[in-house]
Order: sequence, then structure tokens, then C-alpha cells
Amino acid sequence: MRTEDEQYFQGLEAELEAAFDVAERAKERGGDPKPEVEIPVAQDMADRVENILGIDGVAERVRELEGQMSREEAALELAEDFAEGRVGDYETKAGKVEGAVRTAVALLTEGVVAAPIEGIDKVEILTNDDGTEFVNVYYAGPIRSAGGTAQALSVLVADYTRALVGIEQYNARQEEVERYAEEIALYDKETGLQYTPKAKEAKFIAKHLPIMLDGEATGDEEVSGFRDLERVDTNSARGGMCLVLGEGIALKAPKIQRYTRNLDEVDWPWLQDLIDGNYYDDEEADADADQDDATDETAEADPAETDDGDADGDEPTGPPRVDESTKFLRDLIAGRPVFSHPCAAGGFRLRYGRARNHGFATAGVHPAAMHLVDDFLATGTQIKTERPGKAAGVVPVDSLEGPTVKLANGDVRRIDDPEDALEIRNGVEKILDLGEYLVNYGEFVENNHPLAPASYTYEWWVQDLEAAGADVQALEDDPRIDLEFPDPEEALEWALEYDAPLHPEYTSLWHDVSVDAIRTLADAVDGGRIEGDPDGDATLVLDYTEPVRDALETIVLEHRQRPDEGRIEIDDWRPFVRTVGCEPRQAVADGATLEPDGREAAVELERTWSDDDLSERARTWGHDEDGDNAIEAINEVAPFRVRERAPTRIGNRMGRPEKSERRDLSPPVHTLFPIGEAGGAQRNVADAAKHAETMSDTPGVVELQIGRQRCDSCGTETFKNRCPDCTTRTTPDYRCPDCEQRLEPDEAGRVECDRCEREGTCVEIREIDVHEEYRDALESVGERENAFEILKGVKGLSSRNKVPEPIEKGILRAKHDVSSFKDGTVRYDMTDLPVTSVRASELDIDVGQLQALGYEEDIHGEALIHEDQLVELKVQDIVLSDGAAEHMLQTAAFIDDLLEQYYGLEPYYEFEERQDLVGELVFGMAPHTSAATVGRVIGFTSAAVGYAHPYFHAAKRRNCDGDEDCVMLLLDGLLNFSKSFLPDQRGGKMDAPLVMSSRIDPSEIDDEAHNMDVVSEYPREFYLATREQADPEAVDVEIAEDTLGTDTEYTGFEHTHDTTDIAMGPDLSAYKTLGSMMDKMDAQLELSRKLAAVDETDVAERVIEYHFLPDLIGNLRAFSRQETRCLDCGEKFRRMPLTGDCRECGGRVNLTVHKGSVNKYMQTAIQVADEYDCRDYTKQRLEVLERSLESIFENDKNKQSGIEDFM
Amino acid sequence: MPLEAPARIVSELTSRGYNAEREAVTRLAAAEDPNATLERVLEEIPDDALVVRTEHVAAALSTAGGASTDAAADASAGSGSGADAAVGDDTTAADSTPSVSTGTARDEGNESTTHSPVETEGSAPAGRSADPAQRSLEIVGDMTGQSTGTGEYGDFVSVFRDRLDRLGAKLRGRINHRPATAIQSMPGGSEVAMVGLVNDIRSTASGHWLVELEDATGTFPWLVMKDREYVDLVDELLCDEVLAMEGTLADDSGIAFVDSMHFPDVPRTHEPSTADRHVQAALISDVHVGSQEFMADAWNAFADWLHTPEAQHVEYLLLAGDMVEGVGVYPDQDEELDIVDIYEQYEAFSEHLKKIPGNIEIVMIPGNHDAVRLAEPQPGFDEELREIMSAHDPQIVSNPSMVTVEGVSVLMYHGVSLDEVIAELPESKASYDDPHKAMYHLLKKRHVAPQFGGHTRLAPEEKDYLVIDEVPDIFHTGHVHKLGFGKYHDVLAINSGCWQAQTDFQKSVNIDPDAGFAPIVDLDTLDVTVQKFS
Repeated sequence: MRTEDEQYFQGLEAELEAAFDVAERAKERGGDPKPEVEIPVAQDMADRVENILGIDGVAERVRELEGQMSREEAALELAEDFAEGRVGDYETKAGKVEGAVRTAVALLTEGVVAAPIEGIDKVEILTNDDGTEFVNVYYAGPIRSAGGTAQALSVLVADYTRALVGIEQYNARQEEVERYAEEIALYDKETGLQYTPKAKEAKFIAKHLPIMLDGEATGDEEVSGFRDLERVDTNSARGGMCLVLGEGIALKAPKIQRYTRNLDEVDWPWLQDLIDGNYYDDEEADADADQDDATDETAEADPAETDDGDADGDEPTGPPRVDESTKFLRDLIAGRPVFSHPCAAGGFRLRYGRARNHGFATAGVHPAAMHLVDDFLATGTQIKTERPGKAAGVVPVDSLEGPTVKLANGDVRRIDDPEDALEIRNGVEKILDLGEYLVNYGEFVENNHPLAPASYTYEWWVQDLEAAGADVQALEDDPRIDLEFPDPEEALEWALEYDAPLHPEYTSLWHDVSVDAIRTLADAVDGGRIEGDPDGDATLVLDYTEPVRDALETIVLEHRQRPDEGRIEIDDWRPFVRTVGCEPRQAVADGATLEPDGREAAVELERTWSDDDLSERARTWGHDEDGDNAIEAINEVAPFRVRERAPTRIGNRMGRPEKSERRDLSPPVHTLFPIGEAGGAQRNVADAAKHAETMSDTPGVVELQIGRQRCDSCGTETFKNRCPDCTTRTTPDYRCPDCEQRLEPDEAGRVECDRCEREGTCVEIREIDVHEEYRDALESVGERENAFEILKGVKGLSSRNKVPEPIEKGILRAKHDVSSFKDGTVRYDMTDLPVTSVRASELDIDVGQLQALGYEEDIHGEALIHEDQLVELKVQDIVLSDGAAEHMLQTAAFIDDLLEQYYGLEPYYEFEERQDLVGELVFGMAPHTSAATVGRVIGFTSAAVGYAHPYFHAAKRRNCDGDEDCVMLLLDGLLNFSKSFLPDQRGGKMDAPLVMSSRIDPSEIDDEAHNMDVVSEYPREFYLATREQADPEAVDVEIAEDTLGTDTEYTGFEHTHDTTDIAMGPDLSAYKTLGSMMDKMDAQLELSRKLAAVDETDVAERVIEYHFLPDLIGNLRAFSRQETRCLDCGEKFRRMPLTGDCRECGGRVNLTVHKGSVNKYMQTAIQVADEYDCRDYTKQRLEVLERSLESIFENDKNKQSGIEDFM
Repeated sequence: MPLEAPARIVSELTSRGYNAEREAVTRLAAAEDPNATLERVLEEIPDDALVVRTEHVAAALSTAGGASTDAAADASAGSGSGADAAVGDDTTAADSTPSVSTGTARDEGNESTTHSPVETEGSAPAGRSADPAQRSLEIVGDMTGQSTGTGEYGDFVSVFRDRLDRLGAKLRGRINHRPATAIQSMPGGSEVAMVGLVNDIRSTASGHWLVELEDATGTFPWLVMKDREYVDLVDELLCDEVLAMEGTLADDSGIAFVDSMHFPDVPRTHEPSTADRHVQAALISDVHVGSQEFMADAWNAFADWLHTPEAQHVEYLLLAGDMVEGVGVYPDQDEELDIVDIYEQYEAFSEHLKKIPGNIEIVMIPGNHDAVRLAEPQPGFDEELREIMSAHDPQIVSNPSMVTVEGVSVLMYHGVSLDEVIAELPESKASYDDPHKAMYHLLKKRHVAPQFGGHTRLAPEEKDYLVIDEVPDIFHTGHVHKLGFGKYHDVLAINSGCWQAQTDFQKSVNIDPDAGFAPIVDLDTLDVTVQKFS
């Protein structure tokens, strides 16, 4: 580690320690559930694993093994330790297996996610039909967060430990095997699996698994075929099991095989068959295997031959193209527009590179394009994309080429400035091209996607120019030359002088037009004329015809259409004219020879080629059909080489909108103090303090379920953590529910009555004087009721011991308008985005502040002086959105008051403006995980996202494809978090900081981040390889992985593209600013009409199919089997009570699903289907539904009648 | 008599848009040159006729022969072998007439002469006359066009109250019932009884069962002890069915211990009515036209069979829903449809229906695949769909409906609730393999779909059309695609199979359908024979 990195981390840790000291002192004084800070600091992964599991000795053993072997091997090694009792204190075999499995999962997930504690419910020993014992592992839904590999390996570890402790294999019964197959299909239908094994495959796996996979029911739908099995408790789908079998074993079979090979005790020979797909009956399998071999051979031989053929003849008949994929269009949602259909011309053009705010599952889009798609795209908006991954977060990159639009006045313009985009937006008639779409090389590595043919861009061209022998350095140094944006004359000169292709700036999209179209264009140019000074700002004027207009629009060339005057005007015409094989010739008017000043001199345009000049190859060159791609023809007629400008278009649609919002429970909670129903629907503590059920009740006294605590010194029973009489700390008072015997928890924390064999509890129903508690709390913090608008409590506590939070904390939260999450912390959610270099100017800070944070040099090694110099971001520094900063200031004010008024300490933060936040520490914490990561605030952005180093996000196990997570102020977490508040239910320990990482070790983060490329340019070979659609691994571009474990592992994140500001384009997606769902959908359909790359009928069809129909059908179904609810007391009834009124309170009962909610989209859907000309099938489905609605909601005898009824 | 001849004639007729009476077809087939005769019949048939009737054939034959109007009259009277001879005579005559048929027709005619010496077998057409006068068909409980519910809360309440009133009436006479609220105030230890809807069933920690009964005044909990002999009945209970309980109040009057349970049930004394003559009905369902799995060959074989003498007594065809595969019944259904257009599906179904002899009376109800509302009761098809299916003039009534055929009452219900009965009850009491046993439970509960809120969907109407008010003689359902029949308290329960081969979905959930069967019921004896066509 470099010394500056070490200093950085020490700085963070010193700050952390200071805050820790304050928190420890505060906790000693207060009435919190524990007198100390409850988030342990973990230095490394080993610590986190041990902390999350709570098994002593694991950390030490993990550290021992870490240097010697991979993490997977370490997991197996630990399994041996568990089996032999060297680690963990388990007496039963089941316990040993459980410990080993949990540890393996924790290890493989770096001790960050909750899967090891929440995803594995238990391990039990059951009996086979032959009387032998086998292991049953009980998975639960949260195993999802472990990912496929860890899931699969957990099975392997269970099997290995099973073998070591001497338990037999599981022999699945036939009906159990069938059940697995049915259940997986059901789960896939209900919830969806990343990979769903076919029935045969699932049965094959089930039959061969040496341990039984079981789990909790996670859905309501039940299997219909194989029900009520003896060894399967439920008829519902068991989500955890389905995930492990499908996404784990089936998908990761090759990975598991790597480890089974090395283990003598574990023999999974069937894995090979699974990988090969030979899962049929044995006899069949043999035959099939033979056949497969045979086909394999021929299959292998075939491409080889074709390859040879290609090499020999050197005659591919079409350009290299990726295949269309329509997956991203599935489940299209109303109001979230499609930006481009798969591979559609006019859609986003793939450009390779990584911008500084890019990489790690993001997509760079020009900010002008964001505005032009009616603001539906904003920084951080998620898009579902065709390739290389499934989804990406959108980032603004203005060094890309912008979109090209046709305006109502006939101008076709490329818009490279977001300001221009806003100005002309209302006049846009058609978006002909969405501009470039930046994807970095690492994305292709991460997704293992073959490289797609690259757009011809400046980065590539300049290397072509160099390869052609030009002195690029000299050209770059020439101040008169802008190499990236040259004059047309210069571009032509270079193309003609060197054997380099034409500059991309003047290369049109010839591959999108047909050979016929360029004939048309060449003829049009031949018949065209030049107006104006031929050496100055001359304009090419062509006759207006539809074919010419269409061709120019398709090749995306800027021009002006003047249909009324019958002309089309093109500026900067020379490269275009030359490319279509026409020559401008200086002609002298009137044939007069001696006019001295040559004023009448004009330029004549002449087509220099005839159709016969084109080779057969050029004429038939195409992808979908012969001759649909003119690039080869252009290369034959142009006097220079022309490369394909944009061979790869990437389809995408909007996914989730970006997010930057405070996290409030619903309804929001200020204090985790229970008030039952007494506070009304608002859960207002003040109301509860006055509430009386009847006239004879004392106001404010409420019956509540609450934990009983006992003061050990004076014996007082209370629910508080500090004795109200002698202020000693109290302990939970456990008793046996049967015999009332007082119980003490054992070492493992279990409380059991030996006599009655029942679990003890300290929870009791008790009358609490909320009024008194509330008044006392107000008094103790010295606040009056008018300090806040409302103080909201909770109805009841869901934690095991039901320990309430001191109301004082809630009073101060309410005062500062912050609310509490289920664990006592105040949180703010933001969409994750990566950034590797920043400038002070865009972060709303000054250079001095950067310097104070240890930033001394810019990315080029120059001293940091200016506000617009780029500096490389340190790994734990984060940028807050404006909203987050505002919320952090409120939280800080709350913490300061809390320290002063509740704990009696000095305030800690004392912020006056948001600049004071710079340098402060926060926790980053992602859902499904149980470890927080310490981060440091470096600045602010107007984008509604949380920008941070990709490693910071990866440490929280997030990527940036639209994921979101939260930040908490450091001292808030330390002071207010308590495990005692966490719900005692599945998933309750998720999204809670059970442990924190003080520094990021790049080797211990989600390895997805290691695939990010960190170079400033991609080599020319890379671009050439994309044309071959090469495997990404076959190309040499440095990725982050290459520096792991070296001194430079925290630094050197270079980028290929800059962007002016990390917050450009709209601050919020139109999806969030538009009001109703109808407004959003109208805008979505309107946009689909404007975009050349979008088929609006398909969009309408999909909106109906995936949004309206499911909604209508679902609501109709819900209507005819609905629950009812009492409007007065909220009591729910499975069926309408025969009394008609509420059986509880006599109040009015009403439906929960009304006519209005069932048919709200009916007319809209019919209208959309009609207007956008949807298929008959779709229209008929709507018709049938409409009639169903009529039949249910209309009285047949009361319908509008015709005149004949009265005759 | 070879089967091909009538079959060919029927398909020829249907291809030209005509339906045919069985007798007419028989006579045509028996003609010496059936094709020529057919041409003649079609030429002379009135423009507005949709069904080729015996009279038309007779007329054609008589004009052709000009001789034997008597014979024709005889034939139409259906008088056995004498008619045969007459037909034989006729055809000879027909053959000699100057025919307007084209050459090809004549060729075909020549071919078909090889089939013509049928009359030598002499047995076939005997007694097939379907004398309309002898027939009777009456519908009760058809709510088509009577849907008055508007989906309000009150509509739901009325439905359930109506259920309790009507089914409760069958129980109140048997016990000394008290309202729920009255029971609460009775002294502990009293003998009490109550009639109500099952509101909730749950087991207690000690393994007993707590059944909450609800009536118009409120609810009351009844405890079924696990060691009582009738505890087994708890397994059969469904929420929202009506039953009566008798028992003893606990000391605090908060609960009653059940001593006996009573179901509305079919009285053991029930004696089914039968037809006065030997006449049969075919009970089928789940045709699923439009599905790629629709078994057209089996259906055609069935239709052909109906044209044979063997089927001469089949005068009624009852169809218990799912005429077509429908649209949008499950996601991405269009990919598995043979006919994607819903109207074309019904048109195709109508074509298939035309192959059924025109003098067979058809009654049908919709199912969950049909283009009507899914919520039950389902009204019969709307005018547009009726128009499409009008050729055979079927009676289209709501699901469920009670159809009385020559005195025999048949309760037709599509059967969606069977899924629920099978899911909720233990396998020994109801399974897909014995669908009729699941039907027994519905008969016992006297309700076709008791449980609210699960699989079955309810559309609230002013009364509960799903109550089995009168005990039917036959209970006919479909939906589960399994064939099964049996008798419960002398009520014949039949779940007909289907005409759709196993779908991928059924394969995946382990259902092997009984496809291509037609159960035939003798209405005079209520005996069942099953004809197989696949």
C-alpha cells in the first residue's frame, strides 16, 4: 500500500475512533438497550464473517487459510474443522453441518450479505426409506443475496461435511423428484428465476443430489400435482430451495465441478452429465450421448469449414452484426418508454470507452439525448438494455456525439449541446438518431459477451491515421488543427493523403441505406448545384424528392428540407459529395475564357461512376437481404476508405427511475415506542397520551405487548433499560410461560424452561401510561410540544424482546423532521453511480476543501490549483445529492440535540451550512446486506443519485445498474442502532448494520468491480477485434483486477472520455415529474411516435399485454374473491359478514376492491389498442374483458334501452 | 352399414353450411346414388333452411322418382325395414332421372354405388325417428340476461344471506336451531344447535378443531374434539358451506362442544325420475376448439358415430362448458393456439357442431375458457356469439343451470370449484382420478362452489344461483378433463372428459386427461355407457 493510501485510511479511522469515543460515552449514560455501541468495527473480511455468524474462532482460522488458498477451498477446509469440532461448539451432527454451511456462505459473500444467517434456516437429519440418515438443508428466501456460486457451494459443503461426520446420502423418492420439477416451474411462474432448469434437468438434479434441499414456503400459490408429501412440509413453492437448485446447482455446475474433483469424500459424477446436458434415462442417455458426440463433431467441423471457406474466398457476403435480442422489452410497463427497439436504425449507437462517471453497469448517454427523449432519461435512471448486460444506470457524457433530429421547419440537425436541445425541443418532429451510447470494455468482460462491432469514432480513427503513417503527434501539437473536429477540407485532405479512412465526423451511416439509395443520391448530387462561394460557405442544393430525403435522413446527414421550394440544402457538402463518388469540377460559365476576375466561375458536380462499375459483392452486400448495406459500394466509388460508422445499435427501454429520497417507513416513525391503536391511523403519540377506550379508563393508559426488564439491584420491574427507581441498568426478565419460573439465558442466548421444555419469554401484556412517559420524555429533553408538528410512534414492536426506544429520541427526531428506520437509524436512499475522477467545480466545493481532504495533485500529476482540475477520487469518498445533503444536515442537528439534551454531552457536528458536511463520515448500507461501509463526504451534486467510487459500491455489494442503497450519518448509526429493535422474523436482520468495514480491501469486494477497465485509451487492435466479435478476454485492455494486491490497487483509474459535469441533462426523469399514470403513458406513446428507432404499435401492444391486461385481469380476479374491511376499525373479513356490519365494532364494512379500481384502465386500454392498431388477439382479449366487466357491474335489466322497447 | 357413407354425406353437407337430421342422412346414404340425391336435395331445399330434414330428402327422392311419395311418407314415419325397401326403390328411380349433377358428381356417384347395397343388411335405420312430440326439455335457473348485480358490497351480502336462507331451510327442520347471539347468552351446559355458514376452520394447539359458524346475527365457535367419531368430517368442510351443528355449551357459554353435524345433503330417500321411453343423452364438455391440442379426429369420429344406428337413441347432447380454447386464458396463450381469433374459434366450433345430427337437441353452458365473465354464475353467450353458433340452434344457458330432459333433471355446472374441492380435501376423499367423488361433496353441501375467496370467483347477484335447490337426477360437470361417474344417494354424478389432448401445462403438473370419451346416459334407466373415440 502506498503511504498516501495508508494515510488516507488512518485519517478515516482516526475520525471514526473519535466519533466512537463520543458514542461510547453517550451510550454509557443513556437508556439505550445496550450501554455500548452495537456496531462492531471489522478490519477485514475474516472479522466480518465472524461477526455476522457469531461463531468464535472463525476469523482466526479464515486469516490462517487466506494466504494459502482460495476462498472456496478455505470454505471446504473450514468444513473439516467444523466436522472435527476444531471450530464451533456443536454437539450434534446437524449442528456441525449447519455451522459449516453457514460459514461457507458467509465466506463466499465476504461477510457482507445476510444470506448466511437469514438464507439458511436450519439443517436437520432425516431418515431415508432404507433407514439410513441423511441431511436436509432448509433454505429461505434471503439465500438469494448469496448469488448462484455461493448457493451451489453451500450444497457442496453440506455434502462434504455430511460425508465427514458420517451421514448417508439422500435418496429422493420418485414423488419428491417430480415435486422438485413442478415446484421450480411454479416458482418461476410466480416469482421468476434467472435460470429455470427444464423439468428433465430439475428431476435429474433432484435425483442425484446427495443432500435434500428444503425450505420455507415463500409464495401463496400451491403445486397441484405432487402435494402433501411426507417429507415436504408445504404445498407452496419453497423459494430458497428453488434458487439453490436453479440458479445455484443448475447454473453453476461447471464451477462446482472444479471443487468436487479435488475432494475424495465427495463424488458428484453426475455433474458432468448435467453440464453436457445428458440427463435422460440411462439407456437413452447412452444413445443420446453417442448422437451428441456425433453431432458435436459435425457441429465442430462445420464452422471450421465455413471459416476455411471464408478465409479462402475472403468473401463474407455481409457485414459483421450482433443478433437482435428482445428480452429487454419483456414486461414493459406503462409510462416507461422504449428508446430503441433491438438493433434498430436510429437507436443508440455503441461507442466503446469509459467516462469518468461510468463503468460498472452504467451506460453513457449524451445529455442532449436525455432532454430530447422528453426528459425521460436523467442521471441515474435505470434502463433495461439489449446488451451487453441486462440493465444499466444512465450517466451523462457530453464528449459523445449527440442525437440528430428533424425539426418541424425541415431542418435536420445534430444536437451536441444540451442547451440547444432544450431550445429546439418543441419543434422536434422526428428523432432520426439518438446519438452515441458509451459502454466500457469491462462490461463485456463482466457479462462475458462477445465484443460487438465498434462504431467508427475519433479514438479509433486517430490510431488508423497513425497506422497509416501520419505524424499524429505533430498534428495534435498544431494549434490550428482540431484533430477531433476538423474542417471538411482537412478531413478530405487527410483521407486522400494518407491511406486512412475518412474522419468519423464526416462519415455518414452508409451501412443503413441500400445500394439503390446511393445510386439515387449520386444522381441527385449529379443534378445538384452549388450556391454561394465555392471556396467559402457554399451550399449544395439538391432537388427535393422523397427517396433523396429518406436516404439523407437515414444516413443521418445534417441538411435542410424545403419541400415547398423543392430543394434540399446541405452545408459542408464536400466530404458527402466525394463519398458518393461525385467530383466537383470548376466550370467557367458561358464558355467565356477571358473574364479576368472569374466571377461567374461555378462548380459543377459530376457522378464519376456507373452501376456497372460496382462489383457483384458490393451490389449484394447486406445483412438481412442482398444490397441493403451500401458500405461496400461506397468504398468502391469513394476515393478513400470509409468505415462503418455505427454497425451496432443498442436497444433499450426505461427501467426504474433514479432515486434520491429519505427512507421513511409507512407511516413514518419518529420513535420505536409502541402505542397500539391508541394513536389512531397516524400513530400519533400525543393522541395516544390522551386516548381512553371508555369513560372509565384513565386517559393515556394503553395495554401493550412489551418486554419486561428487571432491576438487579432493587428488583423493580419495568420496561426500561434503566431502573426508574435507582437508575441501575436492567436486564430482560425471562419467565416460562407455563410455570412462571424465572429463567436465565444460556450461553447461546436461548432461554428454555427445563421443566416445561418451553421457550421462555420476557414479553408481557402490560398497561403503560403513555401520557406519563410522553410528558416525562418532553421534560427530560427540555422540549415543548410545539417544537414539532407530530410525533409518530409504532403500533407494536416486532422484535423478539420488544424493547422500546426511549421516547426522547423520537421527540428530537420529530423536532428536526427526520424519521427512524426499523433499526433506529435515520436513512437516505440514493441510486448508486460510479465516479473515478471529480473536479471541485462540479461538487460545489473549492480547491481548499479538496486539499484539506488530502487531494494534492490532479490526474496528470499537476499541482491542484484550479477548481476545474480533475482529481482521482479516493475509494471511500462519496458525493451526496442535494437532497441527501439537506437530510444529513437535519440529521446532524438531531444528533447534536440528542447529545446535548438527552445524553448530556457536547454537540458533535455543529453544522451551519452544507459545506460543513465535507469530510464527515457516513455509513453506506445496501439492502439484503448486513454490513455497513464507512464513507467520507467529498461534495454535492444536483443529480438525484449517490456518486461514489465503484469500489465503495462494490464493497456494499451493489453495482450501478439502477441499484439503490442508503447513507446514514456516522454518529446516528453509532448512537441509535440497536439489534434489539430488529424484527424477529425472516429477513429481519437484513439491511441492518450488524458490522461495519472501516476500510475497503479491493480483494474483498464484489469481484464485478474488478472487471472495470482503467485505461485512457483502447488499442487499435481492440477496435479491429470488435469487428471479429472476439471474446473480450482475447483482447488486451487493462482492468482493475490486474492491480489487485499491488501498491497501486487504490489508484490509477483512468478513463477514456471526460464529461463536463457529472450532473447534466434533467435532474429528474419525466417519469417522476409527470403526474398520473395516464400522463406518463401518454408521454411514453407520444415519444414512441417520435423516435425513428421505435415501433409504436409494438410499444402499445406491450403496454397492454404487460401492464393493462395483467392489471385488469388481476383486479377482476381480486374483485370476485376479495376480502372486506371495516371502514371504522379496520378489521378484515375473509368474506362479507352475514350481519352486513362489522362483527367487531358494528361499523360499516366495505369492499377492498371496487368497481373503480377494476376497470380504471379499461377504456384507456381499448383506446390505445385502437389508436395504435394493435393485433386482433389483443383487441379481442380486451373485448372479452370489457364484456365481463359489464356483466358483473351492470344490471342487465337496467341497461339503456332502444326505442323498440317502447313500441 | 359402413360408417363412411353417412360420415361423408355429413361432411359434405356441413361444408356447404347445412346441418342434417340423422334420419335424413341415413336416407341419403341409403340412396343408390347418394351424391346425386344430395345435389337434388340441396337444389330443392328452401333458402332459409339450415337443417336438412327427412322431409327434404323424401321430397327430393319423390320428385326424382315421381313415384313413391308413400314410401317417403313411410320413411319419415320411421317404420322400419319397409322404409328401407322404399328407399331402395327410390334410389333406383333417382338414378334413372336426368340429373343436373355435373360429371364429377356422377363419377363420385358411381363410386359410391359400391356402398349402396346397404339395405341388404337391413337393420340400420330402424326406429330412429325423433318424434318432436315425445321430446321435452325444460330449463330452470338460467340467469342469462338476469344479471342484476352491480358489484356492490350489499350484493355480496345478499348472496350469502340467500345461501343461508335456502340451504338453512333444509336443516332447520332437523334441529332446534338458535341464532348465534342467542346461544351466547344461554346458560353453560345447555344443549344447543345452530345453522350457519362455516366462517373459519382451525386446529387448536391440542389437536382439536374449532369451527366457527356464522348466521345473520353473528358467529359462534364450535369445538370438534379430536377423539369424536365425526372428527373425520372436519376434513371435508369447506369455508362458506352451510351446515348445522348440535352440541353442549361450555360452562362459560363461550364455545360449544359438537355432538353432531348435519349437512343439507341429498336425502337418502331420493328417488330419481326417469324417462318414459328408451332415449339417451350424450354428456360431454371441454371441447377446446382452437387449441393446438383439440382432437378433431376424435370429435369427427364421435359425430360420425352419432349418425350410426348404434346411436339412434341419442337424442340429446349436453355440453358442460369450454367450447373453445379462448383467448388470454393464460399468459402467452396465442403461441399455443391453432386459431388465434376468438370469433373464428367459435365459428370453427360451430362447424364442428354442425356435424352433430341436426335432430339432436343440444344444451350448452359456458366454461372458464369461454368468452363470458369468469365469475360464477356465468351467463350464457351474448348475441354475437349465439349468432355464430346458430346453425344447430343449440340452447345456450348459464353456468350452472338445471335442464330437465324428458323428466330427468340434469344439473349442468362447468366445474371450476372441483379444483378447490380436490385441493382442500384429503386425497382419499377427492382426487383428479375420481372426479365424481369430488362432485359427491358438492351434492352433500348442496352447493356447486361453496368456498369464497379461493379458486372460484363469485359475481354477486340478487340470489345465490350456485345453490343446489332441487336435488337433480344427474349432476354433470367437466373442467378437470377427467372422466368419472358414479352414484351418490341415487344421484348420478358424471364428470365428462375432454376433447383436448394433454397440454404441456398438464404434463408439467402431472395431469393425464381422459380425452375423446363420450359418456352416454340411458334416460330411462340412468345407466351409463362410455363411447371411446380416440
